[in-house]
Amino acid sequence: MNSTTNSQDPLHAGLVASPSVESRHREAFFSRASRYGFVWPPILIIVAILIAPHLSTGVQLKWILWLSFAIVALSLDLVWGKAGIFSFGQNALFGIGAYAYAVAAINWFPVTFETGSALIVAAIVAAAFAGVLGYVMFYGRVGDVYLAIVTLAVTLVLYTVMQSTAGPEYRIGEAMLGGFNGMPSVPSIALGIPFSEDNSEMSTAALLVFAICLSGFLYIAVRSLVSSRFGRILAGLRENESRMELLGYDVRLYKLAAFVIAGAIAGLGGALFAAWGMFINPVIFSLSQAALVVIWVMVGGRGSLVGAFVGVMVVQWISDSANLVVEQQTPLILGVLLVVVVLVFPLGLTPTIGKLAHSVGLRLRRRSVNTSRSEAIAIDTLLPALSAAKERGARAKRSEGAGRLAAVDVKKQFGGLRVLEGVSLAFDGPGVHAVIGSNGAGKSTLFGVLTGRHKIKEGGVELNGCVVTDLPTFERARRGLGIKLQVPSLFQGLTVRENLALAAGFRASDSPSRHAAGRVIDTLGLANKAEALVSTLAHGEQQWLEICMVLLQNPSVILLDEPAAGMTQDERVQTVKLVRELGKDHTVVVVEHDMGFIRALEAPVAMLDRGKVFRIGSFSEISNDPEVISIYLGRRHGAKR
Amino acid sequence: MGATVVVVFSVLTSVAILVLVSLGLAVIFGLMRIVNMAHGEFVMIGAFTVITLVQTLSFPVWLAILTAPLVSALIGVVVEMLLIRPLYGRRLVDTLLVTFGVSLILFQIAVNIFGTTSPGIATPLGALKIGTYSVSIYSSIFLPLAAIGLVGLLYLIFKRTRYGLLARATAQNAEMASALGVYSRRVNISTFALGCALAGLSGGLLAPIVAVSPSLGQNYVAQAFMTVVTGGPAFLVGTVVASALLGTIANIVSQVFTTLWGITALFLTAMVLIRFLPNGLSGSFRKQL
Repeated sequence: MNSTTNSQDPLHAGLVASPSVESRHREAFFSRASRYGFVWPPILIIVAILIAPHLSTGVQLKWILWLSFAIVALSLDLVWGKAGIFSFGQNALFGIGAYAYAVAAINWFPVTFETGSALIVAAIVAAAFAGVLGYVMFYGRVGDVYLAIVTLAVTLVLYTVMQSTAGPEYRIGEAMLGGFNGMPSVPSIALGIPFSEDNSEMSTAALLVFAICLSGFLYIAVRSLVSSRFGRILAGLRENESRMELLGYDVRLYKLAAFVIAGAIAGLGGALFAAWGMFINPVIFSLSQAALVVIWVMVGGRGSLVGAFVGVMVVQWISDSANLVVEQQTPLILGVLLVVVVLVFPLGLTPTIGKLAHSVGLRLRRRSVNTSRSEAIAIDTLLPALSAAKERGARAKRSEGAGRLAAVDVKKQFGGLRVLEGVSLAFDGPGVHAVIGSNGAGKSTLFGVLTGRHKIKEGGVELNGCVVTDLPTFERARRGLGIKLQVPSLFQGLTVRENLALAAGFRASDSPSRHAAGRVIDTLGLANKAEALVSTLAHGEQQWLEICMVLLQNPSVILLDEPAAGMTQDERVQTVKLVRELGKDHTVVVVEHDMGFIRALEAPVAMLDRGKVFRIGSFSEISNDPEVISIYLGRRHGAKR
Repeated sequence: MGATVVVVFSVLTSVAILVLVSLGLAVIFGLMRIVNMAHGEFVMIGAFTVITLVQTLSFPVWLAILTAPLVSALIGVVVEMLLIRPLYGRRLVDTLLVTFGVSLILFQIAVNIFGTTSPGIATPLGALKIGTYSVSIYSSIFLPLAAIGLVGLLYLIFKRTRYGLLARATAQNAEMASALGVYSRRVNISTFALGCALAGLSGGLLAPIVAVSPSLGQNYVAQAFMTVVTGGPAFLVGTVVASALLGTIANIVSQVFTTLWGITALFLTAMVLIRFLPNGLSGSFRKQL
């Protein structure tokens, strides 16, 4: 992160050209500041503040409205663009913030003469609502499409509910909710010391300056957030949620945190909206409004924070101009806009323009960088990388090396289909253990039970002496279980370095883990690809990278699912070498059905058949057992016929 | 006694309406993994078809109701060919956004043609006297029967017809299905049209008992979404079970308190179910329909 670690890092030392320590300091400070958004946005904010008072009141009002919209668009950009959670609910949170502000301001302004507290209430209420909603969705593990539906349904329910609050019984303190007619005479923003009679509601110009400061502050805050460790974790979630879980991250918690933060931001936007109109009604929860937020972000470009502002300006300008030509056709215009953007500019405007500009520059740069080979890495170059990855283990909290993984009388059925009927197996001490079985024997299900993907009601799983039966995958990973799935599961949209950093736990202060990652990159021969996207790596490189990532977690038990699947004979030999190397000081469990591969491993074998442990023994014992042969070969012959 | 019977009929009506408005959404989502955000507008189109045919062309109500799904399906086919077909294979969110756009467009077109309110038509079949109470035969008896009949018909379509087999196969594994020679484009368009037809039929069935306006669909679509989400993977059985549960709760709560609380109760029940049964009510069923 800073220049001291940079100078120790061989990679960065090579990249930083300036010789003097002082100028390097200055450069690092500047690049860091600009990455966190501390350079250009403040300049823009100051310019905007200087211009603001000289505009006509009409323009000032329009700008305030647009900025309140941009804030909610920013919140959607955070959850959707950065964390990959598609939500229709930002609009609902915006409306909740507006209502909360209105209720608090109407009740308190006559007493305290300020509405700063109402602003805070708006943020807190919206965040709390997002917290409850997010808890249900993320801890219920609602899938992404379901999530969109649920958040939209929430918005529509709020619309219906708020419309039905017309009676005098629907009041909170002095504030009547007012049903479809809404709440009039909401106080505008008035900042100052509570109970001081000098406070007054802001003029339009002052409100605009406030809006500029608020939106600018939120922009910088979000930008710093996404550049931080938290932001990298969100990027990991967006790219590959299951891998994050295998690496030991509590996916649900991070998603919930992002959703709550975005909720608070949307709530503040809503408060500004209510203060702008000094009025609020349920139309804010309507379908068109819900669509608008998504359209702003789509047009501006998902994942581009500036895009939130650009999107609002472009869409609102189009919709205002179109309204001059044909009146009251807003839904039609928005609908057409949405369809056109999705079909023609799926990336949105800002990234499309950015991509055009970038592709010119990138082509020049690529030619000078990309000179590396792309064939698979040989095992001998990999071994030092593994030891570098393992080096971090020495300082980790857990005891280093081998562990114990055991399944105790595990039973599992899917619907009425019984797949495992009481499997008990223990894998102990350093060394390689193999689990085999023909198709349908229950291997994959057992693997899923051991990783935590499948929940079981009968039986138990023990890891290093702890019962982990009911723990989710990420908790098992934290307790020392390293998992490598059959298909490489990496963060395709992130760089090699970022992938390794996520595996190393990504503590900014934890420079040894960064070093370990750096050495892995070097020894893998990926030094000139450290900043390349993983999606550009060759298949073999991805496999090795993933194994290094598993090791960076410092596991005591490593689970490998069919490591030899789809490999050439040559690659298979390399993989056997690798697995045996890992077995020297880890407990390695290999689930495989390829007998040739198992023979080469020379490991003790447990054979499953029809959901039960059929035999345990050495490979030669198993392979010479006539019953095994009849099951294995007999069934194979049967299948061929 | 009479009061209990009335409550039972009222619950039956709620459940039937929920089944009817959810089926189209459930079919399209269950088989195509497309969230049809314009579902509510297809319901609305069905309702307006009935209103228009009965009022301006003096069609018999029953014939108008049977015409409604045809009109919706026709518009659905156009939407699928023009807008959804280019998006197969892209992210799920894209189809969701495009259909959302379609929803806004159809809504505004309806406003332009019909205005924001529309006079209703008479409810057919008259009333049934139960003691001192009287209930509408159409909504208390005919609608539940229609819902049962429709579910049965869909079950037969998916179990017994060639199209049903192809559609389920494509839903399970589109690549394998096309490797076996299934023309997935035709299956997709048929499924989408079927879903839109079901939406239109539900709108047509609702037209005699509700105030038909362009926002009709929006009033039902949130409930339909919640029903499909809580129903889970077995889209027919799941929809029926979820409708029965949510419809009963919503109806009883709104009779005891107000409609407002009824909707809130439906929603809260759905949220609790989602939290504890993320795979939906039918998640542990062995049935695939």
